[in-house]
Amino acid sequence: MWRDREQGTGWQGASLVAITYVYFLIFAQFAFLHRLDALGITGTHLKAVMAAMALGGVGLSLLAPRTQRWASPRLRVRVGLAVCAAAAFLALLPLGTAAGFGVALLIGAGLGLLTVTLVTHLRQWSGSHPLFKVALGTGTGYLLCNIPPFFAASAQVHAVAAGLLCAAGIGIVPLDAAEQPAEAIAAPRRSLPFPLVVACFAALVWLDSAAFFIIQNTPLLKAGTWQGTAHLWVNAVLHWSAALASAWLLTRRGLGFVLSAAFVVLACACLLLLEPAHALPASVLYPVGVSLYSVALVAYPSLLAPAASAAERGRQAGWIYALAGWVASALGIGMGQNLGHVPPAFVACAGAVVLSPWLLGMLRERRREIALTAVLLCVGYAAYRAMPAAHSVAASTAVERGRQVYISEGCIHCHSQYVRPGTRDELLWGPAQSVAAVRSEQPPLIGNRRQGPDLAEVGVRRSPLWLKAHFYDPRQVSGASIMPSFAFLFRDERGADLVAYLASLQGPDAQKHITEEENWEPAPASWAQAGSADGAQLYARFCATCHDADGRTRIQWKTSFKRLPPDLARGPYFYLPPAEMRNMRLVRLAQITRFGLPGTDMPGHEYLGDVQIASLSLWLMQRMDQPMSANRNPIHTGDRP
Amino acid sequence: MSPGAHSAPASSPGLASAAWHSLLWLVIGNAIGCMVALLLLMPAWNAWLGEWTYGRWIMVHMNVMLYGWSSLPLVGFLLVVYGADRGPLAPWCRPVLWAWSAALGVGALTWLSGQSSGKLFLDWSGYARVLFPLAIGAVWALLAAAFVRVRAADSHASRAARAAKLLGLALLLAVPFTIYIASSPGLYPPINPDTGGPTAASQLESSLMAVAILLMLPFGLTQQKPQRRHVIPYAWLALGAESLLCVAMGRADVSHHSPAQFLSLGCLLVWVPLTPAYYAAFAWNANTRGWRKAMLAWWVLLLVSGWVMFLPGVLDNFKFTDGLVGHSFVAMAGFTSALLIFVLVQLMGEDGWIFTRSWSFHLWNWSVLGYVALMMLAGWLEGNDPAFTIVPGVARNALYTLRLMSGIMMLVASLEWFAAATEVLRQQQAAQQFAVREKTA
Repeated sequence: MWRDREQGTGWQGASLVAITYVYFLIFAQFAFLHRLDALGITGTHLKAVMAAMALGGVGLSLLAPRTQRWASPRLRVRVGLAVCAAAAFLALLPLGTAAGFGVALLIGAGLGLLTVTLVTHLRQWSGSHPLFKVALGTGTGYLLCNIPPFFAASAQVHAVAAGLLCAAGIGIVPLDAAEQPAEAIAAPRRSLPFPLVVACFAALVWLDSAAFFIIQNTPLLKAGTWQGTAHLWVNAVLHWSAALASAWLLTRRGLGFVLSAAFVVLACACLLLLEPAHALPASVLYPVGVSLYSVALVAYPSLLAPAASAAERGRQAGWIYALAGWVASALGIGMGQNLGHVPPAFVACAGAVVLSPWLLGMLRERRREIALTAVLLCVGYAAYRAMPAAHSVAASTAVERGRQVYISEGCIHCHSQYVRPGTRDELLWGPAQSVAAVRSEQPPLIGNRRQGPDLAEVGVRRSPLWLKAHFYDPRQVSGASIMPSFAFLFRDERGADLVAYLASLQGPDAQKHITEEENWEPAPASWAQAGSADGAQLYARFCATCHDADGRTRIQWKTSFKRLPPDLARGPYFYLPPAEMRNMRLVRLAQITRFGLPGTDMPGHEYLGDVQIASLSLWLMQRMDQPMSANRNPIHTGDRP
Repeated sequence: MSPGAHSAPASSPGLASAAWHSLLWLVIGNAIGCMVALLLLMPAWNAWLGEWTYGRWIMVHMNVMLYGWSSLPLVGFLLVVYGADRGPLAPWCRPVLWAWSAALGVGALTWLSGQSSGKLFLDWSGYARVLFPLAIGAVWALLAAAFVRVRAADSHASRAARAAKLLGLALLLAVPFTIYIASSPGLYPPINPDTGGPTAASQLESSLMAVAILLMLPFGLTQQKPQRRHVIPYAWLALGAESLLCVAMGRADVSHHSPAQFLSLGCLLVWVPLTPAYYAAFAWNANTRGWRKAMLAWWVLLLVSGWVMFLPGVLDNFKFTDGLVGHSFVAMAGFTSALLIFVLVQLMGEDGWIFTRSWSFHLWNWSVLGYVALMMLAGWLEGNDPAFTIVPGVARNALYTLRLMSGIMMLVASLEWFAAATEVLRQQQAAQQFAVREKTA
């Protein structure tokens, strides 16, 4: 209570942290760049302007501790805020390169003075639970920047907001209070040497800046991470939650753990960003990793570092922000600019730095475990290299390579390759093979679970084009499919090989089986239960993609079809009896719907029940008879005509 | 603790490490299981996985459950039985367990990177196919060294016990070679021509191996009760007779429609009364009661359901469906898990508390039972209509959602055990450090 009264509740400390972060994130790092772009300052001029900002930042970060003797902490923070506010407002003017250079220098200098002075004296403005206040300030800063209307506002709005916030900050800087004695804030852990802490922060800032730049400048990645209201709100909440979690972890597990956790999360995000398809999971990890270390970046110099005096704390803060903040940030942006990605080797190097305390501890305490594991890994590798039998034989044909792709992708876990003789399988999936034929495969790929159809005879039932289109986007081709997309296989030869393998899956009895299909018709009772309204829904789900004029599959693969699928509203209907033979036509429609047309791109829908097939056939018949009315209002239900 | 029970008051660091490693893999396996169950409901989310697709994760899920969770408790059992967890060799227990987990981790990475032999539960391929048997070899070397050391130091052990251990060592030596050879794509077990699955002889063979392990385990865990020991020879005689029957059935590709096949498999039902009677002939720690009963209940359910599901008509309906997934769950999540936990509780003595808290016991067993019931229902529906799975509807999605919830409950229970095992390890480590400091002082 006594302490709270003297220091206030600490909201001023939290607010100043939040203001500083908002200024840096939304203006210095983001809006100012857009502003320069709008002013036509690009290329080498832009680099020079940004170098000026870094120069100001590094310079004032290192000089700020030396200003202690001339002015009180309160005054220095106010000056820092005033310089930042002035720079933000000046950025609204129509600047040339030289003026831009000057404003950038001011931004860097203001931030350098503000950040170092703030963290040096933060403990006198943070009240009780100072770590929590730091986390609250950091999290709130990130949260505000990610609020969708603010995030999406123009660079001018960002500049005005940043300037006004700094001006408001000048008013809330509290009076100087007596320096409070250091207290045990974090869990008692082995303290890390100061140079190592600087190196860890530098590695994390480097990763963060590189990832930020890459996301900002790669439209595909940006679309998956920082676009859309829901996405921004999620980012905001993640930042805020991770910041509070960081404070809790700093208290419970110490600085080393938080930096390691932040590295693991950020490293995963950077590796995921190598592939645009993974932008979504990366977008979840990135804010978490950033907020985890950002809290530590403020908390360490202000609260956790073992420093005997405010002067020493200031010097430490200066070095951290100069090297880890400004220099590492510039290097990260440079990496993003020049490489366009974060190389995995760099992630490994950063890991070696950040995880080094943990790795060294492991080496000390688990020597025997590490030694035996390392020996086995090496011996195993040597034995593997020396044993030709352990190497898989290189497949020579596309079909053989495709079979290996089938095995690699674990297709066996959803698709069987075994038609059980004398069961419904035969009609659905093709003729049964002999056990000897199955056994001749090495290994037989019988499988034990069907999440999808049996594939033993898929080469008869599906054309290579259908297979390819289905691998690209299963749900586009077959509305109900739960299969993942395997489009990535077509970036190299694997996709074509897999299609060749599946197309080759047809036994010697294929023709006999086709004859059986041609003799099939739905059970008589199913016609009575069928309705063309159901058929219309089934058509939309399974057929429209190819047979509607604007069907997605039809459009995407237009030039690849052996013959473009007929628009069923218009025809022509090559494979149907004449319109006068209605019964025969209906049965043939049912057969084609169920088993497809071997030799063409028309697939079967073997897994649908007789009633569904009959419903679809009724609907198709109706559509062919009265194309316009059928489209609007399905009226034909009930009995077979 | 029951009178005459044989157990250490608390677990050795080697055993506690084995429990920790096995639970780590259980948690990983369960987490992957939940993920793939979710993907079956939300197929669009597969896009998040990139090239580490659903099929590759299934390989990891199945293999870490078999070679991690299901194997490492038995490694712990062997470390205790051969005395490797005591004396000068004890510091090597943790390194061999590390090597095992590292090899399994390498295996998981190879499966995720698309290397596999294409054989279920024997997906070992490339480097991992050599490394994992080597890791098993390291365990064997430790057991052999412990055998030699104990033999020299302990003159009280009976000749029969020594012979049994020596025979055990000889059999265990075959394991790494068997895994390497069996992973070859060129070898494949007999095929039931009517289903593509295993024959009755294959089923009998694997079941009898499980029976042999069940009968052997008590000798390494505790002592016999004098008043009930008469059951023991009958059980071994029954195993011998059934083994002869299994040999006589041969390894041909025979259908389950053959009466000789399903009737022969029915001989396993003799273990429904015999196994509980056999286990009652041994003295067990009091804290094993819950898991022992659960293990025997799952075993009885496995025997009965396994035989029923092999019968003509029933297997024809369930083959390739979720019904067989449910049956596998009875075997692995139900029976095998309960057996392994029972063994660990017996061996860990006081530290067995990590498994005996009531809520996690009930959470695990009831969620496994719920999972099995859901899968049996789904399998039956799918057997009648393949579109049930291929064209997901409300019923399938509802069942799969409940299945996911069961999986999450199992994950929660395993996390609780893992956290408790970590706590035991931490306490042991603190005690060790304290002892070292005392000694130094």
